[in-house]
Amino acid sequence: MTTFRQQLKGRFAVLGLIVLVLLGGLMARLWSMQVLSGKSFAAQAEENRIREVSIDSSRGRVLDTKGKPLVTNRPVMAVTVAPSIISREDSAALISRLSTVIDVPVPEILKRLSSYKQERLKPRTVRVDIPMSTVSYLVEHAPEFPDVAVEAAAVREYPYGVLGAHVLGYTGEISEEQLKKEKLPDFRLGDIVGKAGVESEYDKVLQGEKGYRRYEVDSKGRIRRIVAEGDPRAGKDIVLTIDADVQKVAEKALADALAEAHSQGYKNARAGSAVVLDVKTGAVIAMASAPTYDPTKFLGGIRDEDWKALTAKDSEYPLNNRAIMAAYPPASTFKAVTGTAGLQYKVTGAWTSFNCPGRWEGMGKQWAKWCWNHSGHGNVTFTQGIEKSCDTVFYEIGKTFYDRKNEELQAFSRSMGLGAESGIDLPGEVSGRVPDAAWKKAYNKFYPEYQQWLPGDTVNMAIGQGDLLVTPLQLTSIYAALGNGGKVMKPHVLKAVLGSDGQPTKEIAPEVSHDPGVTANNLAIMKRALVDVTTSGTGASVFSGFRISVAGKTGTAQVTNKDDFAWFACYAPAEQPRYAVVVVVEQGGHGGSVAGPAARQILSKLFNVPYRPIHTVDVSR
Amino acid sequence: MQGGLLKSITDRTHVGLVLAMFALTAFGTLMVWSATSGMSQHDAMFKKHLVGLALGLLPLVGLWLIDYQKLKAWTGPLMIALALLILSPRIPGLGATAKGATSWLEVFGQRLFQPSEPAKLLFIVVLAAVIAEFNGRIEEWRDVLKVAGYAAVPVALILLQPDLGTGMVFVAIAAGMLIVGGMRGRYFAVAALVGVLLVGALLALPRPLEQYQKDRLLVFIDPARDPKGAGYNLAQSKIAIGSGGLSGKGLGAGTQSNLNFIPERHTDFIFSVLGEQLGFLGAVTLLGLFLALLAAALSIATSSRDLFGALVAAGLIAMWLFQIVENVGMTVGMMPITGIPLPFMSYGASAMVTNLAGVGMLLSVWSRRYGT
Repeated sequence: MTTFRQQLKGRFAVLGLIVLVLLGGLMARLWSMQVLSGKSFAAQAEENRIREVSIDSSRGRVLDTKGKPLVTNRPVMAVTVAPSIISREDSAALISRLSTVIDVPVPEILKRLSSYKQERLKPRTVRVDIPMSTVSYLVEHAPEFPDVAVEAAAVREYPYGVLGAHVLGYTGEISEEQLKKEKLPDFRLGDIVGKAGVESEYDKVLQGEKGYRRYEVDSKGRIRRIVAEGDPRAGKDIVLTIDADVQKVAEKALADALAEAHSQGYKNARAGSAVVLDVKTGAVIAMASAPTYDPTKFLGGIRDEDWKALTAKDSEYPLNNRAIMAAYPPASTFKAVTGTAGLQYKVTGAWTSFNCPGRWEGMGKQWAKWCWNHSGHGNVTFTQGIEKSCDTVFYEIGKTFYDRKNEELQAFSRSMGLGAESGIDLPGEVSGRVPDAAWKKAYNKFYPEYQQWLPGDTVNMAIGQGDLLVTPLQLTSIYAALGNGGKVMKPHVLKAVLGSDGQPTKEIAPEVSHDPGVTANNLAIMKRALVDVTTSGTGASVFSGFRISVAGKTGTAQVTNKDDFAWFACYAPAEQPRYAVVVVVEQGGHGGSVAGPAARQILSKLFNVPYRPIHTVDVSR
Repeated sequence: MQGGLLKSITDRTHVGLVLAMFALTAFGTLMVWSATSGMSQHDAMFKKHLVGLALGLLPLVGLWLIDYQKLKAWTGPLMIALALLILSPRIPGLGATAKGATSWLEVFGQRLFQPSEPAKLLFIVVLAAVIAEFNGRIEEWRDVLKVAGYAAVPVALILLQPDLGTGMVFVAIAAGMLIVGGMRGRYFAVAALVGVLLVGALLALPRPLEQYQKDRLLVFIDPARDPKGAGYNLAQSKIAIGSGGLSGKGLGAGTQSNLNFIPERHTDFIFSVLGEQLGFLGAVTLLGLFLALLAAALSIATSSRDLFGALVAAGLIAMWLFQIVENVGMTVGMMPITGIPLPFMSYGASAMVTNLAGVGMLLSVWSRRYGT
């Protein structure tokens, strides 16, 4: 039998070799998976078993400068639905019944359930602030509504209603585009964030830090136990420079001005803005914009019909904060800037004499322009030109600036902050426009015949018309600067951030944003002229009997295809300036008859002077 | 005489084989206990596993005592028994199917066992008898076709059940035995070619393979095809084994095992549980024990007194090796997923009894290695 065994030896060797090769192959594979890639597989195993659910933190409050709450949180009952409802057999019937009970359309509920890809375990809020009757109905019928829960939640509350809505802004669920665009790792769909105003600007401060709860789940996604927990950290309260009392009056004054415009025949007056600044610090005391909106409409998600109403073409866009988002021709209020520039560049002196025949032919007979007073102001000094808002005086100054070919008027305007964002801590600010030769050429790129900068361009700019555009806030900053030694302060609405003990952890220091270097002498000349406006000039009837000395200027802007826009800009008290106030009413008519009285109304509040409504008619521009 | 009896027993016992068997069944018992812990029927299942072990001792000892050469004389009846076993689940009143693939012999609603398991042993014995007739030389085409004919009938029957897994085991057994039986290398090449063509044809034809069986094969080729369906099991198994790392998460401590991420974790995927809980070291220990088992079987094969005994041993080696490679291989993504249990490890009495009976047959060959 030895021969037979010998014969088989080779074959057994083959068999043994196969055994070794195959088991060796398995071992190599196990080495690669367990030892070389063990960490990566371990991470996958963790991902398998851990589900994280975030716990929202409470949002910080917004207080006014005296500590009055402007935005707080109110506990409400909210209805949440777990995404697992979708996989139920009777989900369609269930959701349709829920829709009736909580008065939210079915597509709206489905949108909230399906659009989120993250946090499979986290119930989605489908309706906040449900009435008690609905709460008790849902609680009584709980077994009929699986995956539906009634939970305590918090929503933004506005103790003063719509007051300061444009400054405060509103909150809403973060949008998918926002998440994608800004790459916010800490945020997830469904999170509440600030969408406008300080709610948006200081969202990070107000937001706080989310807490979390990590669950261990099995292969079916059922929760086995809580693995780890972290408490949320509440957002910080912030204090604004806004004074709720002044804000209230500013909004009232703006509304009254709109009513006054209507009573004077300006039926298209529907929008406007009023701004109050502290001249020394740039702090915004009040900032009003009309028309306004109700921020509570955004709580728990704004309904489509409400959104359409707020963004419709004929709505005058109530969501826009006109104080920083609208740019208008400043008209005669700009004469203070042209005048100061004229003094600085010695184009004019305080007593320089001008002759106003009503029709000005300084650019040649065929290019004649009219002063608003067609019969003419006769011989007037520079100061009187401001007082009476004489256009001819500023046509002359503008013409001289044009002849000097140095674009000094533009340079000076920019040195006071025009044509650029003021840098206020509010989102959405526009920069306005200071037109010059380069701008005109670029703007009319496809119309070569309109590219050349002409004398009329500088002349129009000198009286605040033409292509010049300013925001109400920019103009307020300029008048504040005239009352602050020429220094333009950076405007701001945040005063301080409060720590959990209610003490300020961060306070905003005043910051000079522009200093055009106007001499004290020139500032004094301008102040005298502006005081004359309110004592004997175009604003005299508005301020008759007002015991505070006001350095101000009326303005009536011409806008193509629209009624005139009414302006009033001022600082007060003239001797020791504290506040700058600007009011503008779109299509409101004349500055002296519509915007001026509104400014007086606001100043009365600022200086605690008894207020009586003023009705007067101004014909100047 | 007492010394003589003792000497006789030690002489008839292959120590390496017996030690490997004890170590493997002990290891398997530990893993079955761990894998079933947390299941609602843990106690009952563990008890059933122990009963299976005890039952397996009967054929082990029985076959040890019986002279394996006598089996040769029973080739005819054994062939019929083999066919009956394979067909029994299809006989009305006797069969039952679970999960489409696993066929059971069932009498009066009482599940007895999976006939495909003992069928493997009968197949080995029958084929060994057939191949032994050629005296270690299968060189003519005629001989090849004759052997192939004997082997093909049971393979075809089992594939028609359809039981793809056992069919593949049969093919592996035949291959292992033909190496020892003396088939020429070029015939293996031809057989491999025919095999590839057959698999292709099976995938292309609507029958006899069920769609889920085709899916398993196709998912193996491209696991990304269906990560939550057939590919999901494979992915979860790989995560379990890989996350075990060098030394594992500890016996009974794996998250993949305990949170039900591993499918069939006490039967087909018990190696995934082992890999997660005991890591690379545990897995290598198991492979080492398997190597010891196969080495012992090989040593018995080489010392067999006749070709028949050597062929039986070779068949058992091929059976175990294939099941080990296929089962472990599928849990790590090297082989397609089929319902083949891991020898001595997977929960299931039919397989356990069969494997212990196999050990009995090896001991029978070893005991009778002397003589003419």
